[in-house]
Amino acid sequence: MSAVRSLEEVLVDWEAVIGLEIHAELTTLETKMFCNCKLEFGADPNTHTCPVCLGLPGALPVPNRAAIESIVLAGLATNCDIEKRSMFYRKNYMYPDMPKNFQTTQGPVAFCMRGHLDLDVDGPAAKERYQLDKLAVGEERENIIRTDSGYKAHVGITRIHMEEDAGKMVHLGGGEGRIAGATHSLVDYNRAGTPLIELVTEPDLRTPEEARLFMQKLRQIYLAIGISDCSMEEGSLRCDGNVSLRRRGAKEFGTKTELKNMNSFKNLHDGLAYEICRQAEVLEEGGQIYQETRHWDPTQKRTIVMRVKETADDYRLFPEPDLAPYDLSDEFIESVRAKLPELPEQKALRFAQDFALSAYDARHLVEHRETAAFFEKCMQLAGADAATLSKPIANLIINDVTAYLNANEGVVLADTQFTPARAIELVRLLADDTISSKQAKEVFSAVMEEGLDPAAIVEARGMKQVSDTGAIEAVVDGVLAANPDKVEQYKGGKTGLIGFFVGQCMKEMKGQGNPKVINELLAKKLS
Amino acid sequence: MTDQVFGCMSACQIREGLATRQFSAREIADESLKRIRALDGATHAFLETTEEMAFEQAARIDAAIASDLLDEMGSLAGLPAAFKDNMNLIGTHTTCSSRMLANYVSPYTATCVSRMLAAGAIPLGKLNMDEFAFGSSTETSAFGPTHNPWNLSCVPGGSSGGSAAAVAAGLVSVSLGSDTGGSIRQPGSFCGLVAVKPTYGVVSRYGVVAFGSSLDQVGPFTRSVEDAAYSLNALAGRDPLDCTSQHITTDFTANLSEGVRGMRIGVVPAFMEAKGLTAEVKAKVEEAADHLRQLGAELVEVDLPNAQAAMSAYYVLGPCEAFSNLARFDSIRYGYCDPGHKDMNSQYDASREIGFGSEARRRIMLGSYLLSAGVYDTYYYPAQQVRTLITQDYARAYEQVDCILAPVAPRTAFEFGAISDPTEMYLSDMFTISINIAGNGGMSMPVGLGAETGLPVGVQLIAPQFKDENMLRVAAALESVYGPAPVATAFLPESDLSAPANIPDARDAVPGVVLGEEGECRA
Amino acid sequence: MTEHLSEHDVRDIAEYVRIGLTDDEVEQMTVDLNAIIDSLRPITEYELDGVEPTFHPIGTLSNVMRDDMVVPGFSQEVALENASKTQDGSFLIPSILGEGGDR
Repeated sequence: MSAVRSLEEVLVDWEAVIGLEIHAELTTLETKMFCNCKLEFGADPNTHTCPVCLGLPGALPVPNRAAIESIVLAGLATNCDIEKRSMFYRKNYMYPDMPKNFQTTQGPVAFCMRGHLDLDVDGPAAKERYQLDKLAVGEERENIIRTDSGYKAHVGITRIHMEEDAGKMVHLGGGEGRIAGATHSLVDYNRAGTPLIELVTEPDLRTPEEARLFMQKLRQIYLAIGISDCSMEEGSLRCDGNVSLRRRGAKEFGTKTELKNMNSFKNLHDGLAYEICRQAEVLEEGGQIYQETRHWDPTQKRTIVMRVKETADDYRLFPEPDLAPYDLSDEFIESVRAKLPELPEQKALRFAQDFALSAYDARHLVEHRETAAFFEKCMQLAGADAATLSKPIANLIINDVTAYLNANEGVVLADTQFTPARAIELVRLLADDTISSKQAKEVFSAVMEEGLDPAAIVEARGMKQVSDTGAIEAVVDGVLAANPDKVEQYKGGKTGLIGFFVGQCMKEMKGQGNPKVINELLAKKLS
Repeated sequence: MTDQVFGCMSACQIREGLATRQFSAREIADESLKRIRALDGATHAFLETTEEMAFEQAARIDAAIASDLLDEMGSLAGLPAAFKDNMNLIGTHTTCSSRMLANYVSPYTATCVSRMLAAGAIPLGKLNMDEFAFGSSTETSAFGPTHNPWNLSCVPGGSSGGSAAAVAAGLVSVSLGSDTGGSIRQPGSFCGLVAVKPTYGVVSRYGVVAFGSSLDQVGPFTRSVEDAAYSLNALAGRDPLDCTSQHITTDFTANLSEGVRGMRIGVVPAFMEAKGLTAEVKAKVEEAADHLRQLGAELVEVDLPNAQAAMSAYYVLGPCEAFSNLARFDSIRYGYCDPGHKDMNSQYDASREIGFGSEARRRIMLGSYLLSAGVYDTYYYPAQQVRTLITQDYARAYEQVDCILAPVAPRTAFEFGAISDPTEMYLSDMFTISINIAGNGGMSMPVGLGAETGLPVGVQLIAPQFKDENMLRVAAALESVYGPAPVATAFLPESDLSAPANIPDARDAVPGVVLGEEGECRA
Repeated sequence: MTEHLSEHDVRDIAEYVRIGLTDDEVEQMTVDLNAIIDSLRPITEYELDGVEPTFHPIGTLSNVMRDDMVVPGFSQEVALENASKTQDGSFLIPSILGEGGDR
């Protein structure tokens, strides 16, 4: 089946109800959840195991204190209530990647309950929201409030609970390592017992963009608090989505499907968008949605059914007798709170206030920890000029630096030739009109490639911008004198010819004339 | 050389002999292994002997003696010891008397075992049991039953039947067992031994194959109260590998000689009137009560109104925990793997069908049912509430008394095959189960032979949580009357057992299971 | 005796716990389980309103945790030594899906 209508069309008739389940491995810890085995991605198979994580008869679990601290930190960073009293439970089902054939997880009460994140949805992302234009700025509807640039959405977090990851399997004999059609599988328990936190949202999300932004924001938070490397590619941050549709205005939820394998922000968005369109088509044709697990296939751009759930799974959940219950003390919780760093949202607010940036710029600066840190370092170096240099520095980071990093996958800003000192130097060259903004882009690229200071590059390439009015005036006069017919036409109303004159002047000056000064002089002389 | 039988000696006698160089640890190991080889055909207490480890440990001790460092060897130095086969000991088979684990070789050692070794005990082998500790007679062992040294046609009790028989036959001086509903105390009673199930949390469970995680506890079988106390000193205490183990600083030998004068000892009238309690056992409990009174204890009637619910609570909680604990036996990483299957589910199904005996299968199925949606609230949750009531009963009783005296088992050892109905077999544990439910300490103390059967009878002493020293003190007082537990008559050193009873080595009788071979288990 | 479980139920449970049972075994298992469940009736007849459950027998036990420190575990060889089938340092198992579905 292929989706025939666009998402925006579908969302006119249908309301999508989306909830996310987001698993994060606590990769920054040294050891596993219930044993002292080393956490390491990519090691030889079965080289990080012990009686506990191999599920040997007689082995017993002992929880990692740092993992409990990490989940409490995650809860505090996502506005959750920290439940002092909770227990681990056993979730019983047989599967070859689970050494004990039960997963140790939490029961009805998790360490973190009842949290929320507020999403800033703006730009093109806001377009997916139904009838946003009917709202005035500041006006509220359901869980959103209209803002200048889009809207803010309040997304509830049901809980974050602590659990352990399973081992990894390689499927042999089928196509492309898929489980379907495989004749054998290899099991590696290195990952078994990796501390895992699962965040479950309320079904508060209404568009794929909101889901993507939620995931992005959560990732930023987890990175800021340092509990995971949040690699969607390596699977240390994983997201499942629950999607159902209901007619606009309907109160009852429709039947939901569970979507898996959305291992990038794009896949998360596209998978959900596809699934919404697919469900709409089925429903509009009088069909029925089955409660099933579906797999997003990004190459074929469709979702494929993995398993139909006829009845609710019965995992025989019961309290884990081998683990003591928790009764966290205020001291413990406060000691974790003391470790809470400034979160991206708070940082953006501070940037906006301290450096007179727009909310939009500030938010983009803090999207990545390293660009935020880079910006902050620049502002320290700028000293008294911070207020005037903040905007150009922000632009430089948001546009040029981000584009560079996006184009060079795996490159870390700190490893490049572009230092905060060079950024300041570049922006100062721009501010005192030594170079044009176009030249600034060239200098930025040259810094990255040659590892020289911006001033040295400008000097070496002789690309200093000419702002001297006398020199420019001579060129302007020459150009006007050489084109009397065009001057005549301009004065006759063809004001579009101004571009021609500027171009001629720039050509004369080998691109080094200050366009601002040229424009001013042309305007004066042609009036 | 010496003609002394080390497995019949106490820790003090062994230490004394080593210290005065009457014999060496090597002789202890050597002679003990010879005795086991000669006599265990009759009892079948052992599933495996550990010659190499025995001699290594003996060499360590002899080296210490040569350097005058015996005092640093621990209170169990040179003591012949063996372990229930649900305790991992690196390099040995740990089979839980199941086909499932017939070829499993432990890559690690249980904390309780390593602590016994650290205290100087000489490891002689691994001991038979009911499969995965499901049973009260050791008849469910996949490798054939163990025979009671007092009467080879009777069961030794269970599930730690091998542990009891080995000590009763004087093959070792101490053994470890595990007790989930009575599995130390009941065979202790059947074989006439000092058999201690400490308070839950006194001894680490790490490395002991779990049956009921909230009920299991490890403890020693000995022939004297002092040896039990020495063993507990070695075993007790916090283990960083077991969250439920506790800091214990008690010296369990400290108050053994204090007597019971001034102690208040509880008796439970409902227990004494219980249906199924035989006259000879009842008479022995009353006799023990009289002795304690004469020794200066005050006997107080206490009520445990909810104790009769313990049985059903236990047969809910035990199977639920067991179902989950036994899920790991899936044929992938260890354990029986039925060959030739093309898909995982059929490999699971066949491996677990063949690997598990009928009682294990029954309990797994039962536990899975009791935890299923809707049923959980009918049985599992109420069982945990009943646990609260039983715990409160004991707490109230211990406001009045320091220790409770009760029967261990309703009867003495029975003949093989005498009880075939599983629900009737479950009644063997009627007096012991509530102690596991409440997590208290309990022990069996031998008080001679029953008037009718002539078989050993034990009385049960039950202590408040983490007051295990109370019951040992009462036990020591009873020992002053009855004497230390004797080695079973037929196995006394002076007995001629050159022609052991004609009992086949049951391991050979199990079709299709090949013990100790490398590679796949064949069925 | 009450029939708590039908033979059909017993087959379902056997499938969940992955124990193969022959038809005769299913029949016997059904009889045995119903008898045992019958004997558990006292649990269902207790007045338990307002009684807290005791999941862990030691009431004072809580917050037991360990430090986040690596302790070397098994070598690959030891990890695999009890497995009946291995390949390339991993445990080898037959097709997971077989005729059934994914979890």
